Amino acid sequence: MMMNGKERIRKAFKVQAVDRIPWIPFVGVHGAFLAGYKADEYLQSADFLVNGINKAVEAYQPDGIPVCFDLQIEAEALGCQLAWSPDNPPAVISHPLAGGKSLDILPKFEKSSGRIPLVIEATKRTRAAHPDIAIYGLITGPFTLALHLLGTDIFMMMFENPDYTNELLAYTVEISRQMAGWYLEAGCDVIAVVDPMTSQIGPDHFEQFIHEPISSLYKYIRENGGLSSFFVCGHAQQNIEVMCKTGPDNVSIDENIPLDYVRDICKRYGISFGGNLQLTLVLLMGTAEDCQKHALECIDTAGETGFILAPGCDLPMTTPVENIQAITTLVHDPYQRDVVRALEKTAEEMPILDLAEYGRTEKVIVDIITLDSESCAPCQYMVEAVREVTPHFEGLVEWREHSIKNLDGVTFMSSLFVKNIPTICIDGKISFVSQIPPKQELIRAVQKRINEKLKLKIREKHGKIVLAGTREELKEIYDKAKIAILELGAHIEIETISGEEARRLYGISQTPAWINVRNRIKSEGTEPSIEVMREWIKALL
Amino acid sequence: MTHEEILKMLAICVERGKVNKNAPFPPDLRDQDGADELAKHAIDQGITADVVLSEGLVTGMTAIGIKFRENRVFVPEVLMAAKAMTAGMAHLRPFFQSGAITHKGALIIGTVMGDLHDIGKNLLGMIVEGAGWEIIDLGIDVSADKFLAGLEEHPGAYIGLSCLLTTTMLNMEKIVIDIKASKPDAKILIGGAPVTDDFRSKIGADWYSPDPQGAVDYLNGQQT
Ligand code: B12
Repeated sequence: MMMNGKERIRKAFKVQAVDRIPWIPFVGVHGAFLAGYKADEYLQSADFLVNGINKAVEAYQPDGIPVCFDLQIEAEALGCQLAWSPDNPPAVISHPLAGGKSLDILPKFEKSSGRIPLVIEATKRTRAAHPDIAIYGLITGPFTLALHLLGTDIFMMMFENPDYTNELLAYTVEISRQMAGWYLEAGCDVIAVVDPMTSQIGPDHFEQFIHEPISSLYKYIRENGGLSSFFVCGHAQQNIEVMCKTGPDNVSIDENIPLDYVRDICKRYGISFGGNLQLTLVLLMGTAEDCQKHALECIDTAGETGFILAPGCDLPMTTPVENIQAITTLVHDPYQRDVVRALEKTAEEMPILDLAEYGRTEKVIVDIITLDSESCAPCQYMVEAVREVTPHFEGLVEWREHSIKNLDGVTFMSSLFVKNIPTICIDGKISFVSQIPPKQELIRAVQKRINEKLKLKIREKHGKIVLAGTREELKEIYDKAKIAILELGAHIEIETISGEEARRLYGISQTPAWINVRNRIKSEGTEPSIEVMREWIKALL
Repeated sequence: MTHEEILKMLAICVERGKVNKNAPFPPDLRDQDGADELAKHAIDQGITADVVLSEGLVTGMTAIGIKFRENRVFVPEVLMAAKAMTAGMAHLRPFFQSGAITHKGALIIGTVMGDLHDIGKNLLGMIVEGAGWEIIDLGIDVSADKFLAGLEEHPGAYIGLSCLLTTTMLNMEKIVIDIKASKPDAKILIGGAPVTDDFRSKIGADWYSPDPQGAVDYLNGQQT
């Protein structure tokens, strides 16, 4: 049974079986990029936020989406000054409690403070527009908010004035609780408590200062019908276990922490987990293929239940759309996962097929690379199309299906540089990718190759010399050959071609090479397949 | 206390972040002398300033730097150790001024333009200072011009750039190019979470280390 995104997230949070891996792209300022705004204007307008979210939902078909990824909202409302940037979330640049001032100086925190009305409105509109996906309300975790308010003195305060530290954290967690309440009221399904600063302390300090306030926060979220996620960015490996002990429904981590490590600990605590997609190296700077490969690694490591695929943190603003869409495809399309998996294997261990074979046989060979035509509908149609067309050529054309579920198929795929499934190759050349060609087009393509081969044969009758290799390699050979032809008084043409071409046309694997086109080389350095041998023998009869 | 005992205790106070006698932390050293008192005591006892520095303060800071590198302690512990080191260092200042002791060299540090993160940069400064180097801290959001001005003032100083954002990595590249253009001999160290050694070689900086201890190793190695 197909679940909707919201159900899928809910189940995954409860570590129950799901129909497929749930997927949450953490779109923050990346939404501004999608909708064509600057980061600062985006984060200060409910309309812009809603536009960005709608674009993200459309482009990435997620199971859940955050409303606003900005950990400065609460701090701003409490009097911290912000430095705005066109391509990043804003930064806190002043700390009202610096030096350890009394909490009494802070303004009252209300639903009408700062940008809170704006994000609540955006939440309500997102809820109404997307009833079927999980809406995430992201709140600043109590320790990170404490850093905003006090500055880095917070670290030394933990040693020098534990009472003040406790008082401050009791205050900041109350702010978190209020934010959580407002987000839940506005329709959020999940409250993500984002507390990256906790990555900078050890487990002892965590237990001493963070455990109690944050545990009470998760309890509150649960009692009010929400799901909770403990979200850290950064090197928080030392704290995963103490984080689990605070009792969130989910722990979300970034690339700094090995996923299997988190998986094992979370499993022990019966808590779901998520994240881990590499933000910079892969999502921002990698290719779509890198992204798919990496996402699959995460899925394979994490396992099927209790895992939510997501970036490690806020997506960099200018992350290429096609990279995130590639992950969407991977999540939604089980074939794609097999393709990526098969390709993965090819990278290291696959022997490379000798493409020379195509130059040697008399027939034109049509290869169809499929997942396998029984289980993949598009593959089946493609095979059908080829099967239907071959009789037109009366034995001149031979077709073969290569399922990448077998080693043979994978070898073909990598040797012919095929990237998508299904693909048709004609004599080793990628000709139709993913789309089923109309009959006439397929016939035309095959005919073209037959003509090419025929022309070659006609030329063979006259006889010529073909030299294959790079210009440097051939320089001397060419000159000498010219002299020899002159000396013999023969009328023989010399043609030069690249090594690549020689490989396809004549089956040459090393250059420089000399080919007498009348007496064609049938094999060189490799064992031809039995089909190919049969063709050669027939030609001799 | 013998000289040896004083120095040993001084190193322990630095490593454990025991600033002075009044400091409540660490609880097990409550009411005992801290780095402040012990450094003064050492000088009063006739231990030379350079020995107080190298066998007291530097030993303590190196110990915490290594533990930090190995993830056995975290940011708060290093900040406390640095605070203790600074308290002890105050008693050595006159000796630096008179030339009785000298720094191993100078490192000009700063977070690159557009970047406001400074926790990592500060730790770098503290740990390198704790290894006997002079630190000139230009703060956050620092331009190439400011680094160059710093070099004018401190000829022969090394430069340490820090950056935490992928967007400001571009500024780091620009700053390295600008510095090298006017001072080809300047040696530039770079670091910060998103930075890698590949990036270093791409932008033509001289040294990358994932942690401050690696910067100390490099700088100390450059001395001989
Ligand atoms: C603390 C923090 C802040 C604080 C900074 C407070 C301060 N005074 O520094 C505040 C709240 C202000 C802040 C603001 C922002 N931050 Co911030 N922040 C962090 C956080 C949580 C920790 C960074 C940190 O201090 N680490 C600890 C130190 C010790 O590590 P370090 O800096 O890497 O330094 C170590 C080494 O790298 C090395 N080192 C450092 N420099 C050098 C130099 C040399 C020469 C050498 C040899 C070594 C070396 O030594 C250090 C000790 O080992 C990280 C997330 C995380 N958990 O890592 C995000 C993070 C860095 N921030 C991020 C972002 C996006 C921002 C903001 C744009 C918006 C935001 N708040 O979300 C603004 C940017 C403002 C600006 N223009 O700079 C992103 C960066 C993403 C990216 N790669 O581009 C991160 C990774 C969070 C995330 N995943 O989204 N942030």
